[in-house]
Amino acid sequence: MAITATAPPAAGSGVKTRPEWLERAVGQGLALLLALVIALGLGAIIILLYGESPLAVYGSILRASTTDKDGPAWVLSAATPLIFSALAVSVCFKGGLFNIGVEGQYLVAMVTAAWAALHLGDILPGPLLMWGVLLFGILGGMAYAAIPGALKVKTGAHEVVTTIMMNGIAVSLVAWALNNPLRYTNAPAGQNVDLRTNIFPAHAKVPDLGHLLGYGPAPRLSWLFPLAVLAAAIVWFMVKRMRLGYEARAVGASVGSAQAGGIGIGSVQMKLFLISGALAGLVGMQQILVNNASTSTGGYLPQNYEATLGFTGIAVAFLGQNNPIGIVFAAIFWASLSRGESILPIETDMPREFVIILQGVLIMSVVITYTLAKRRLERRQTGRVLAEEEIVAAEGGPVEVGEALS
Amino acid sequence: MSKLGFAISIAFTYFTIIYLTGLGGLFSERSGIVNIGLEGLMIIGTVTGSFGAYYFGAKLGWGVPAGPIMGLLLGLTCGAAFASIHALATVTFKIDHIVSGVVINLVAVGLARFLSTIFFGQATQSDPGQPHLHVISIPLLSSIPAFGRAFQGLSPFVLFPFLIVFPVWWVLNRTRWGLRLRSAGENPEATRSLGVAVAPLRWEGVLISGAFAGLAGAFLSVEIVNNWREGQTLGLGFIALAALILSNWNPIRLMGAAFLFGFAQAVPLALRDWPIIRSIPEQFVNMTPYVVTIVVLAGFIGRVRPPAAAGKAYEGTTT
Repeated sequence: MAITATAPPAAGSGVKTRPEWLERAVGQGLALLLALVIALGLGAIIILLYGESPLAVYGSILRASTTDKDGPAWVLSAATPLIFSALAVSVCFKGGLFNIGVEGQYLVAMVTAAWAALHLGDILPGPLLMWGVLLFGILGGMAYAAIPGALKVKTGAHEVVTTIMMNGIAVSLVAWALNNPLRYTNAPAGQNVDLRTNIFPAHAKVPDLGHLLGYGPAPRLSWLFPLAVLAAAIVWFMVKRMRLGYEARAVGASVGSAQAGGIGIGSVQMKLFLISGALAGLVGMQQILVNNASTSTGGYLPQNYEATLGFTGIAVAFLGQNNPIGIVFAAIFWASLSRGESILPIETDMPREFVIILQGVLIMSVVITYTLAKRRLERRQTGRVLAEEEIVAAEGGPVEVGEALS
Repeated sequence: MSKLGFAISIAFTYFTIIYLTGLGGLFSERSGIVNIGLEGLMIIGTVTGSFGAYYFGAKLGWGVPAGPIMGLLLGLTCGAAFASIHALATVTFKIDHIVSGVVINLVAVGLARFLSTIFFGQATQSDPGQPHLHVISIPLLSSIPAFGRAFQGLSPFVLFPFLIVFPVWWVLNRTRWGLRLRSAGENPEATRSLGVAVAPLRWEGVLISGAFAGLAGAFLSVEIVNNWREGQTLGLGFIALAALILSNWNPIRLMGAAFLFGFAQAVPLALRDWPIIRSIPEQFVNMTPYVVTIVVLAGFIGRVRPPAAAGKAYEGTTT
């Protein structure tokens, strides 16, 4: 039997009394703290080399996302797509699959949603249109995720490479759609505008939430944020309480053991890809469906859409330890740092790109400290189980240390 | 016909970028480290290479060819230096290769702008007209009627892949170091059991990948565009990855794959008014490298096999 991280705590453990979940939580907490210290420390060195004060720079970033006008609204609105994106990554990761293709899936979903917004207005009356558009986004993401899923299940083609290729194809697909079926047709005469789709009808857009909380319209905080939190809760329920979640974790821990346990590997992997694609389908909705009429941002699919949200989602997923609740907080934290980008050039001499470097250092150190903490925990567990096995002189195969660590 | 010649001369340019970057990926993956950060390594090569050509060539007045050559060397060095982050993360700390590669790509975009602000005083591009090597026409080949256009007005650096392809093959297949590098990617336990440390080999593989990708990026910004512009790599790092897979991780077959994909890049640029090409949207031509790679990966045509231990951490004790 392989001993893995997800194995339940050894029954009747008499060697050490601390429960496993507490040990893991403490380990993760310390790892996160250490990573924060390392990242902020390295960031401070860069700031000092640049001739600025770390306190002033970090203070500006903190203020921008908290006490500044509309600060929290900007943060939550930027966190919205990251939550969907990171959840999409984490669902696949639970089953040991790496969906690098969230990037391509949300690009394609923006096209299908834009098509629905422009063409389904006659069929779906009133606010139903918005739900139809969201559904088309979800379906677009699912359809695009189904391809690498099917290739993985049917031919064994590695999902990392196929999804990277699918991302490349998606960029061209969006460009093609904007030039052909979704071309901007009702541009005002004589006006030279960027390549984009027509403006969506009002009922296709997601209503603003910020004004209910006393924020201005600029941050475009919408009802998509609560929807993202709801999605996190659903993913949590699915992973922890549903059969598919259990099967996914079994497949993720060891394909061989899961197969021996009677789990249909292909079917689980396909379902995970479809759920992941559905979540990815909602990533782009914040930027195309949430409209700020006064600045005419949102409400159409532009050529210079915000890209790389799928890749950022991978970073956020790992920052949140691939845990749905952790992901919500990780996305908010990530978005708070990003909010600092707009304030740095105003309040300090640091270039705004410092934030991206800081985020990169942070995610690298988080993944490293998490990995080290996890390995340490597993070594202790393995040691404990070995000790127990000596005590009861249990029969059966040797503990596969290598497998547990990999 | 001269249109086709023009297309081939553009294809040579893309071929050089794709081949060198793919060769970088080959060294990394043959040593057992998956490197999807090639695009990011290339980006660092573009911005630092451009700075090298400008600083040494124009500011210090070293002129041509010293300035552009310094640019290429700086791109190479900085690519390798940036790749050391990937090596540290994946070899020393044994974190997931894909996560590290994604972070490399994300950070490279910000780091490039950060460096550009320091180098050029603006975040997204450098001033145009930086020094580059004098273009050459290849004797005999360039005088072929109609078709000779393919061999005229090329950067001399385009010849570089042809100079190194056999030495690279020889190093990987005939030298002790090359065989050990490959064994680290196929079966690190066996490597270790022969008394050879795996980690240094993998470090070397990743650093070489950064050097080649950085060099390819510097070639793009110094020799082709003659300045740095944000986003000028256009996903070529991922196309290089595709070419690497199509080549089955073989440096000689990589020549063919890189030229095929380089040509695919050139078609919409040079052959737009050919009847068949005109009827296909250019976006679909741009997709071909990715589609071909998926088809090959799925085993519909032939079979490719990556190095057996690529992507797996080696949990040896004393390495």
